[in-house]
Amino acid sequence: MTHREIVEKVLSNIEKVMIGKRDIAELSVTALLARGHVLLEDVPGVGKTMMVKALARSIGADFKRIQFTPDLLPSDVLGVSIYNPKEMEFEFRPGPIMGNIILADEINRTSPKTQSSLLEGMEESSVTIDGETMRIPQPFFVMATQNPIEYEGTYPLPEAQLDRFLFKLKMGYPSKAEEVEVLNRAERAVPMDDLETVISLDDLIDLQSAVTEVKVDETIKSYIVECASQTRENPYVYLGVSPRGSLALMKACQAYAMIKGRTYVTPDDVQYLSPFVFGHRMILRPEAKYEGISTSEIIERILVKVRVPVDKVRLK
Amino acid sequence: MNGTRIDKRILLLLYILAFILLREWLIPVIELTDSGHLILFLLFVALAFFLALLRVKWWIVVPIKVLYVAWTTHYMFFDRILLSRETVTYLIENLFSNIPIIMVGDWEHITNPFRTVLFFSLLWMTCYLIRHWIEVRKSILLFYIMTVVFISFIDTFGPYSADAAIFRIMVTGLLLLGMLTISRLAEKHHTSISTGALLSISVPLLFTVVVSVAFANVLPKQEPIWPDPLPYFKSFVQGSGEGGGTGISTSGYDADDSTLGGSFVQDNTLVIEAKVAEKQYWKIETKNTYTSKGWEQISANKAQTTYDSGVEMGDFGNSDHANEESRLLADLQVSEDFPFIVYPYGMNKVYASQDVVFQHSEASGKYLTEIGGSEGILDSYEIEFTEPDYSLKALRATTMEDYSSETEDFNQYLQLPEQLPERVRGLAETISVDHESVYEKTKAIERYFGRNGFVYTQQGVAIPKADDDYVDQFLFDTKKGYCDNFSTSMVVMLRAIDIPARWVKGFAPGEYVLNDAGEQVYQITNNEAHSWVEAYMPGIGWMPFEPTIGFSNFTEIEYDIEQNNDELKAPETKEPKKQKKELEKKQATAKKEFEIGELFEAFGDWIRSNSWKIVAAGFILALIAWRLFVARAKWLPRVLIHTHKSGKYDWYAFTKQYKSLMKQLDRTGLKRKDGMTLSDYAMNVDKYFGGEQMITLTKAYEKGLYGGDIINHNWVALKEMWEDLINRTSG
Repeated sequence: MTHREIVEKVLSNIEKVMIGKRDIAELSVTALLARGHVLLEDVPGVGKTMMVKALARSIGADFKRIQFTPDLLPSDVLGVSIYNPKEMEFEFRPGPIMGNIILADEINRTSPKTQSSLLEGMEESSVTIDGETMRIPQPFFVMATQNPIEYEGTYPLPEAQLDRFLFKLKMGYPSKAEEVEVLNRAERAVPMDDLETVISLDDLIDLQSAVTEVKVDETIKSYIVECASQTRENPYVYLGVSPRGSLALMKACQAYAMIKGRTYVTPDDVQYLSPFVFGHRMILRPEAKYEGISTSEIIERILVKVRVPVDKVRLK
Repeated sequence: MNGTRIDKRILLLLYILAFILLREWLIPVIELTDSGHLILFLLFVALAFFLALLRVKWWIVVPIKVLYVAWTTHYMFFDRILLSRETVTYLIENLFSNIPIIMVGDWEHITNPFRTVLFFSLLWMTCYLIRHWIEVRKSILLFYIMTVVFISFIDTFGPYSADAAIFRIMVTGLLLLGMLTISRLAEKHHTSISTGALLSISVPLLFTVVVSVAFANVLPKQEPIWPDPLPYFKSFVQGSGEGGGTGISTSGYDADDSTLGGSFVQDNTLVIEAKVAEKQYWKIETKNTYTSKGWEQISANKAQTTYDSGVEMGDFGNSDHANEESRLLADLQVSEDFPFIVYPYGMNKVYASQDVVFQHSEASGKYLTEIGGSEGILDSYEIEFTEPDYSLKALRATTMEDYSSETEDFNQYLQLPEQLPERVRGLAETISVDHESVYEKTKAIERYFGRNGFVYTQQGVAIPKADDDYVDQFLFDTKKGYCDNFSTSMVVMLRAIDIPARWVKGFAPGEYVLNDAGEQVYQITNNEAHSWVEAYMPGIGWMPFEPTIGFSNFTEIEYDIEQNNDELKAPETKEPKKQKKELEKKQATAKKEFEIGELFEAFGDWIRSNSWKIVAAGFILALIAWRLFVARAKWLPRVLIHTHKSGKYDWYAFTKQYKSLMKQLDRTGLKRKDGMTLSDYAMNVDKYFGGEQMITLTKAYEKGLYGGDIINHNWVALKEMWEDLINRTSG
């Protein structure tokens, strides 16, 4: 089975329960394969949980969910050592972060202290509790959600921490026809219960290592760098995309190319993924906000301007 | 398809304008061919446009038009409104009788009804073309330019006067172009034009066009800067010249010299065939009165001497040497109807076979021929003459004081117009002041023209305006001209320094060739018509001089003085022997030693004299090049396929092909923007042409370019796809 076929199996499995959100599913799998994490920014009830659950079930992964609240403590995320009177010693009770696929719901509702405990785990793939460092089992994939409507009593994630996420996605509402289809399916049974595991975790780990073998041509690398540097030069942008952003885009492109059944990255991959990768890594100047210009618009303008490499000639 | 439709109101306007333009073609054609029935042809055009406007289906249009043509042809030739059995049968027979005529290409005998039908078909096609230009191409420039060219052509070469027509064409044509541009713009932006917008665009357009054309019409216009080509074509086609006229003339003898100047064109008609041992200048007459514009013969001396054929005439003051032995014979055959004889210097006797009397006018030197008491034309005669020769010693001994001892009255040969600018006189004095003898002064003036940037040309020679002096203009402004300019200027300058001089007309020696009878003769054509100078040397008499550059002095001078290294010697002893045959057509520089500078000068002259031809040729070449360049999307694919045919087909060949395909697509209007990826572009291209070839090609290209895989491709299939696609781009 080729990589593409494996991925396709996962995607079609997810599609059994998620109707009409193939692009989000694809991007989520992309992030998973690129060993990245996803921040979903959307209103409740559009199927975020469903999505992550379906993904976890499809790959036979351990699924955990953390509902963030203002009073949640870091230990509620990471786990805690409890004294066992019988054994006469402290026993580590792992927190929800010790899973494969984690849904961190409404991450902006909890205190920065708790947020950073999760983010640190995401970055390091390990947690340190009571001086003891523990590896988080692989694969490890966090999908955090954030409610864009309520700002009251929230702790928005600082920009510097946002780039722990590979993608920031918006789910959006399904179309009317799709929504009717959602109702149709839910009429009979809970679809999630029937969902099978289609690949093993080992398969997934194989895929993840295969992603690194996808070829990124020099011209494509230059193209990515040129796009990133354009965000730094844009007059509307206060803080442009960091080199880590360029790196993230390249990795995402590799994974996406594999999903598309290619062994090499094309500029189309770069163009498609850059809004999701760069969007949350830029801080706009107030002028842009006054003029109603969004980050995605700026990225769009940059993509129109930057010359796509169609030849072996190096970009300047 | 909605976008490509033109607004009905604009369309109506466009067709009306096109009708007016096409009418401008019909009017001269009908007028010049005497066809008549203009209104019937116009009705046909109107009908065609009207049907096009209503978008009537072709199977209705064709019968209507055929019926109209049939009826009109019938009406034109039988002048009857109703068809009758006999006339229709006759007409049909008449039309069918043309088929064998056409088969053999006997165009002269095509019958008139058939011509009419042919003309109608031509009109039909033209209407169709115009419809195509207006509705599909939305560009009428080609037709407009053709109309302008046609009308100017007809106006120039035909009797049709297009003064009003060109005005109408400019207005309607520019309006038509403007309206089409508007509809093109509307199409481009996928909008229809509201009546208000239409008015707000077309009214200023109409205003601008009418005002600018009217303004251009009242502006003073420059006279044509190159000669009217008509006489040239005429003489080329007919092989004979027509003298006279203002501005341009053909070469040849013409008695009227009152207005000199202007260009003239070559006329190679043979005038005289002279059997004579040596080159001679053939004199006809002299003129004495310079009018600032030309020459006239005004003389109180009406004396006429009559000679019979074969009678000793005695001529030219210095006939001392004219003993019987040195006499020469010239046998002349004249093919032009001259009522006078042309004669060499030193004429003694004329023999004619007919009974003829020669009326010699002493003032002008002209010998009129009279046969049977009235003016007659002599087509062959024999002249006995003695070539005059002059002693250099005697010539150098002439002084200005010697004139006082002459008995002849020189006043008429010293005449100058009052308005002659002073600088002419000044120049003459500057040239001659260093020389003592009359002869050397005269020679100095003769030589002056060869060394001061004068150019011999027959084209673009100025005609003096009312305030200008012909000589002054030539000497100081234009410095280019032909024999009349040089000879007149020399006469005037000689007179300005009080040397009696007169203007001589006749023919140059001509070309020494074998004639049809196998004899060596001098053939003198109208091109050899010439003018030169006679100056009076005191004690010696009238002596010819040749100021025109490119011509050489023919006078025999005896070097009877001590040979000190005199620079005068060289040109005078050698030149008579070095005479070239076709000097009339050459520049003076051709005869001199070739120096680089002179070569350049000659080249410059050539450029100057052919400037309008060069400009025209350059313009046509540029037009062709531009046309080819614009249409390169059409023909380049074939070239590309050809150039990519040979050689090994691998990744590099494929890359080249792919890039050339991108360029070709760019030319056909499918441009890839900088920020567009190849696959997006390929999708656009395939959407345009249909099929998936571009996507497949692009995938292969991307695989090689980004994936580095330059081996695993199906080259044969890719090559075929490329050829197919690039062919389609030109389709």
